Amino acid sequence: MSFLITCPTCGPRKGYEFRYGGEDKGPRPDEAGLTPEEWVEYVHMNRCVAGVSKEWWFHRDGCSAWFTIWRDTRTNLQVQVSNDGPEEQS
Amino acid sequence: MTRLSELPTLRIDPYEELRFEYDGRPLTGVAGDSVATAMFASGVRVFSRSLKYHRPRGLYSLDGECANAMMAVDGVPNAAAETTPLAAGMRVGPQNVRGSADHDRLGFLDMFDWAMPAGFYYRLMHKPAAMWPIAAEQIRKMAGLGEMEPDHRTVGRYTETYLNAEVCVVGGGPAGMRAALAAAQYGARVVLLERRPWLGGSFEHRLRSLDDGTPAYQRARDLAAAVKAADNIRVFARTALIGTYNDNLITAVQRGANGDDFDERYVEIRAASIVVATGCIERPLLFENNERPGVMQIGCAHRLAHTYGLLPGRTAVFSVGSDGGLECAADLADHGVAITCVADCRPEGHDPELVEALRQRNVPFLAGWVATAAHGRKKVRGVSLTALDGTGTRDDSCDVLVASAGRTPLAGPVTMAQGKLAYDSHTGCFLPASLPARLHVAGRLTGLEDPAAIETSGHGAGLAAAADCGRAVETELRECDERLGQLPGPAAGSGLVRSPTHGRKAFVCFDEDATVKNVRQAIDQGFDVPELIKRFASVGTGPGQGGLPGHNLPMLVAELRGMPPESASPTTMRAPMVPVSMATLAGSSHDMCKRTPVHDSQKLPGAIMRRIGAWRRVRYFSDDLLCRAEVRNVRTNVGMLDGSSLGKFRLWGPDALNALQRIYVSDMAKLRPGRVKYSAMCNDDGCVVDDGIVIKRADNEYYLTTSSGRAGQTVEWFRYHTRYDGWDFKMVNLTDALGVINLSGPNARTVLERVADARVSNDAFPFSGYREFTLLGRVPARVMRLGFVGELSYELHVPSSYMRAVWDGVAAAGTDLGIANFGVEAQNIMRMEKGHLIVGSESEQRTTLNDLGLGFLWSRNKPEARTVGSVALAQTLEQPDRLKLVGFRMDDPEHTPRDGSIVVDERIRGWVCVARNSDALSQAVGMALVDEPLSGEGTTLQIYEDGCGGNLATARVVPMPFYDPGGARIRM
Amino acid sequence: MFLLPSTPLWDTSPPLKSSYDAVLIGGGLHSLATAYYLARDHGMTNVAILERRFIGYGGAGRNTAIVRANQRTQENVPLYQEALDLWPVLTRELDYNLMFYNCGNLNLCHSEAAVTAARMNIASAQFQGVGSEFLAPADVKRMVPALDVSDRPRHPIHGAMFHPPGGIVRHDAVVWGLAKGASEQGIHIHQQTEVTGIRAVDGKIQGVETSRGTINSPRVLLSAGGYSAGLSHRFLGVRLPISPLTIQAMVTQPLKPLLNHVVSSGAYHVYCNQTLKGEIATGAHMDPWPNYTTQTTAHYLKHQAEALTDILPCLRGVRFMRHWAGLADMTPDMAPIIDGNDPVEGYYLNCGWGYFGFKSCTSTGKYVAQYLATGERPEILEPFRLSRYKQHRLMGETAGAISYTPWN
Ligand SMILES: Cc1cc2nc3c(=O)[nH]c(=O)nc-3n(C[C@H](O)[C@H](O)[C@H](O)COP(=O)(O)OP(=O)(O)OC[C@H]3O[C@@H](n4cnc5c(N)ncnc54)[C@H](O)[C@@H]3O)c2cc1C
Ligand SMILES: [Zn+2]
Repeated sequence: MSFLITCPTCGPRKGYEFRYGGEDKGPRPDEAGLTPEEWVEYVHMNRCVAGVSKEWWFHRDGCSAWFTIWRDTRTNLQVQVSNDGPEEQS
Repeated sequence: MTRLSELPTLRIDPYEELRFEYDGRPLTGVAGDSVATAMFASGVRVFSRSLKYHRPRGLYSLDGECANAMMAVDGVPNAAAETTPLAAGMRVGPQNVRGSADHDRLGFLDMFDWAMPAGFYYRLMHKPAAMWPIAAEQIRKMAGLGEMEPDHRTVGRYTETYLNAEVCVVGGGPAGMRAALAAAQYGARVVLLERRPWLGGSFEHRLRSLDDGTPAYQRARDLAAAVKAADNIRVFARTALIGTYNDNLITAVQRGANGDDFDERYVEIRAASIVVATGCIERPLLFENNERPGVMQIGCAHRLAHTYGLLPGRTAVFSVGSDGGLECAADLADHGVAITCVADCRPEGHDPELVEALRQRNVPFLAGWVATAAHGRKKVRGVSLTALDGTGTRDDSCDVLVASAGRTPLAGPVTMAQGKLAYDSHTGCFLPASLPARLHVAGRLTGLEDPAAIETSGHGAGLAAAADCGRAVETELRECDERLGQLPGPAAGSGLVRSPTHGRKAFVCFDEDATVKNVRQAIDQGFDVPELIKRFASVGTGPGQGGLPGHNLPMLVAELRGMPPESASPTTMRAPMVPVSMATLAGSSHDMCKRTPVHDSQKLPGAIMRRIGAWRRVRYFSDDLLCRAEVRNVRTNVGMLDGSSLGKFRLWGPDALNALQRIYVSDMAKLRPGRVKYSAMCNDDGCVVDDGIVIKRADNEYYLTTSSGRAGQTVEWFRYHTRYDGWDFKMVNLTDALGVINLSGPNARTVLERVADARVSNDAFPFSGYREFTLLGRVPARVMRLGFVGELSYELHVPSSYMRAVWDGVAAAGTDLGIANFGVEAQNIMRMEKGHLIVGSESEQRTTLNDLGLGFLWSRNKPEARTVGSVALAQTLEQPDRLKLVGFRMDDPEHTPRDGSIVVDERIRGWVCVARNSDALSQAVGMALVDEPLSGEGTTLQIYEDGCGGNLATARVVPMPFYDPGGARIRM
Repeated sequence: MFLLPSTPLWDTSPPLKSSYDAVLIGGGLHSLATAYYLARDHGMTNVAILERRFIGYGGAGRNTAIVRANQRTQENVPLYQEALDLWPVLTRELDYNLMFYNCGNLNLCHSEAAVTAARMNIASAQFQGVGSEFLAPADVKRMVPALDVSDRPRHPIHGAMFHPPGGIVRHDAVVWGLAKGASEQGIHIHQQTEVTGIRAVDGKIQGVETSRGTINSPRVLLSAGGYSAGLSHRFLGVRLPISPLTIQAMVTQPLKPLLNHVVSSGAYHVYCNQTLKGEIATGAHMDPWPNYTTQTTAHYLKHQAEALTDILPCLRGVRFMRHWAGLADMTPDMAPIIDGNDPVEGYYLNCGWGYFGFKSCTSTGKYVAQYLATGERPEILEPFRLSRYKQHRLMGETAGAISYTPWN
């Protein structure tokens, strides 16, 4: 990856310092009553948006923080986004 | 061949001779020559033979843009002779010839082009079917250009350099130099890349005077001197761009010069801003035999004379489409070349000064004329020309035909950085139409031809780049833009691609022998977009990187399909822009691995080391791969193993227990100080990802171990699965901070007693205990009593810096007993005998905790912890037909199946994860993952080994552990 | 040219009808193969392939064309085995040379663990009647003299799995040949036609929306390669366990024959083979974050050179000349998703092929065609259902946990 990612602690760094950690799907669901359908949605299913997507990254060769960024999957570039996030595009 | 030796533009030293060898013959060049110019100087005209038709090919451009001048140089194939500097003693040879380049026995193939229309191999060569495999081998032999010997070794110094610049300027012509100077003037740190050995670009070899009377070459040298004098500009000459990537990453390859400590190096630059000023190359004119040796581009003829002092021929005809051609013709006339005529496909719009210059030299100038065919078999002997308006034709003889349809910007760096091009009918070029952020373009790349405009645009781009770096340039930038607005804009260019010819041999792509006719055939077969024609008719996929056909192909396709030129779009330009050798890309290619603190003490004679994950460890201490002596010594006496690669972590803080409960399947609230707890981590599928020990050292203070392979991911894993919780816990990876000695065997306690400053009797330090005490009087140690190998066993964790001392101390304390090292394989055998599993060896990606028989580790009483994997474990608990881990004993104790053998009946029912002939048990035993219906005790397993030819071995499912089932030995 | 007619291989501009019996989204390998067999085996010719760009734009035109049938599990092998057998058959049927070059695949082992894994694959292959054998380093050297089998490389070669039936095929020829075969039987291939929506009412497929208007159809097959998962979510809100990742490949300048087999190595993350044109084509693993850029990276070019030259040292003198990227739609268990009527009736999926979708396309197309035509799932496709993920029954194609998908 040739793009940069801005780590909240370390600032902009080469993308290869990081590890991708999936789409932002929210906190782990409660176990009680969780059906296989709900479980698989949380664990395996992705939206695969062609556009700006909120996702987790880990600063592996750095400060060991997990954090979220918005990234445009059509360009690989991180985008700065206001609090609520962008309208999802496709 | 005598050289022009007085020109001020020369880059050679005509008096310093260099001897080299070409095709076995001794030849001589001079210092400053490229391999190609030295060959040309020595009279070589046919440089190579083409891919399909074995047509003779000669010097065409001087920048390595096609395979014509690709040679074998010192055993390395496909070296671009035009850009390879000549060195004394080089061995150069032609490629793709049977015989010599001049006399190629396959030259007759040129007559069989009718049998090889576009894509003929798809439509013909499969009939009859039995023929195809034979034909395929023939194609292989005929295809390919250079030859590489399997045992060839490229020697040389290959290095890498990684730069961080504020502004990176690509292209060291007048625009690029002005850009560098402008940015540098505002204090920016600038890197300037130029593929040729010298700066100067399109000015560099030209004698013509600029508006202020300075000759262009002199202006180039003045600018170069200014660039050199600026101490915040670093110039990388002989540096060709490989690619431009996201967020302004630039890669390039630099050839070393005298005094450099490398022969070639990989250059990677991250820049805040980029200026691309790569100028233009010429695009070939499409006419019959447009690639006969002797047909060459304007720049080639011009630079042969001005840079290398070589006249391209005696009698020249020009068929060009830009003012550069007229200038070249006038210059060559001055140097004594007889110019028969200059045809310019543009009916008007010529630089009047140059037209006058030709008139003064009595060179006939034919406006609106173009070459239709070159004649001559191996070399050009003549040319047919026609007036584009059909008013006349003529034939001239010549030994050089300077032919060029016009220019085309070298826009690869822009498009690779996701900029877009659009066809501009005024210039007849694909010009940059949209640019990515923090990338600017300047110079001829933008269609400009006027020298002052070229420089001014460069200056402006440099200012814009400085602005990207936060410099206040507004005023000057505005002034610069105004000035540029007053200078001549892009010059009108000829849109002509193809001269009026119907011939079979007008080549669009020299490298692939693809003609206008082939393109038409492709279109007829339904391939209507250039990208498809590129693939179907192989246009622009050769070693020349598609530079030459890049413009002509889409234009030709539009023309043949009757579409307007504006509808054309160029095919995708891809990195690498220039061919790059793997030696250069591999660079220094360090072999990196981790060494334990006692690495040297392990490297004993006979020890066989293996790379295990990031580490190098000893797998066997002798060439007995069954490790009998190592195992026996542990089973009956005492051995020690360097286990330092084990993952080790400190976890602490108010939410440390919450984190443990989330990650481990067991109930970690039950941990008691002084005791070890074995547990496992699953992923969300309930599949085991790791196992290890957890120790509670105090409230909110834990020490844990992981397998060596997972050590690098454990912090990541803990933090990932708690990322939404905001918990307060800290984690440190101590893997490298602590070394580990595994001391095992019935005599382990005797040895430990001698080095430990604490009581270690079975009562004082029982099985599963954890203690902290000092060793050898001073070294603090964390010691746990485990039984992975199935014997009385201690794991000593000591600070890495003391590890060697402790290792030697323990070894000394056991010398009289015969203590000995054991390695990873001995440990593997013993743990297998004990029925202990290794995640990844006895589990697959899809193997759950329950499948491994480790369900007892899982605590179902902590749903509030939302333990990773617990949902899946619950949902699969009763699931039938899963692969289960079982122990088995071979019916034939002498026969051990190889690891990886499979368990079968009518179908495949499982596989052998590990099996060994157990010395301790005198049995062949192992573990297998088998379908659940086969997992019951006493079931017979049929084992199919690779190469067994259907002779199955049989085994019986037996309970584990095989060795010491009661566990007395680990508790003794 | 008098030997060959100069007519279009396939009908490049058929009329766009307002309704078809089946609509296949994507002009890639799987749609084309499915279409061909729909017509050939089931007489279904009122079928449209809708392609956003041109056929072969996706993975079909970017892959490294390696074919083999030595997969890890018996659920997979039969499909790939049949696909392998079909190359010569289809060459004849389509009267178009798919240029199957049966050079065999050599998979290097660099550790004891890798030897174990290879033995398992070999035993499985042999048991199922598929050619495969283990080679000791000396035999490996004999087969590929350019390989360094000494102790020098960072991962010394312990042996190799040799799979004689495999090789390479000309990927473009497969696209064009299948297009020819489908079109000749009356199937419409619409290029430059982007699907922008799928219409479903009451859990039943009605048709698709396209850049050229609405098309009605009771059956829609989503086989848009790396784009499939995003489209499924966008059009129907149906999410899939897929990550669309970038996979890159590159070729060297053409050489006279040097490598006579496909050579691959897991430890180095590299595979290579010499094409009939003489280029050494090579690729490796994927960049593990989802994106649709199809951009190459600088890192990769370098990685590839480092890896290749360590085991094939003579390649140090060879130059890379072209580097490209495509999408690989990876599932967590590295096996595809082939399913139908779940959760929408008439909605069929054939995606998640990762980097295996070339070698499998012919046989898969045949069975998917059967599935579409009859509505009954063929036995051989049973293991590839989408529901396996919620049932916690991952397929065993990958031995160890992989890091292509986020933490699972
Ligand atoms: C670099 C690389 C190397 C590979 N190497 C191999 C290999 O050696 N062996 C192997 O077996 N496999 C390999 N593969 C994988 C293989 O190429 C793919 O699995 C295969 O192409 C998938 O085929 P498909 O028909 O599903 O999709 P594709 O061939 O990708 O076709 C999908 C098509 O859908 C179109 N499309 C997308 N969205 C829309 C829309 N909205 N409307 C209409 N059309 C749309 C696209 O334009 C595209 O043409 C490789 C892939 C790559 C990228
Ligand atoms: Zn950081």
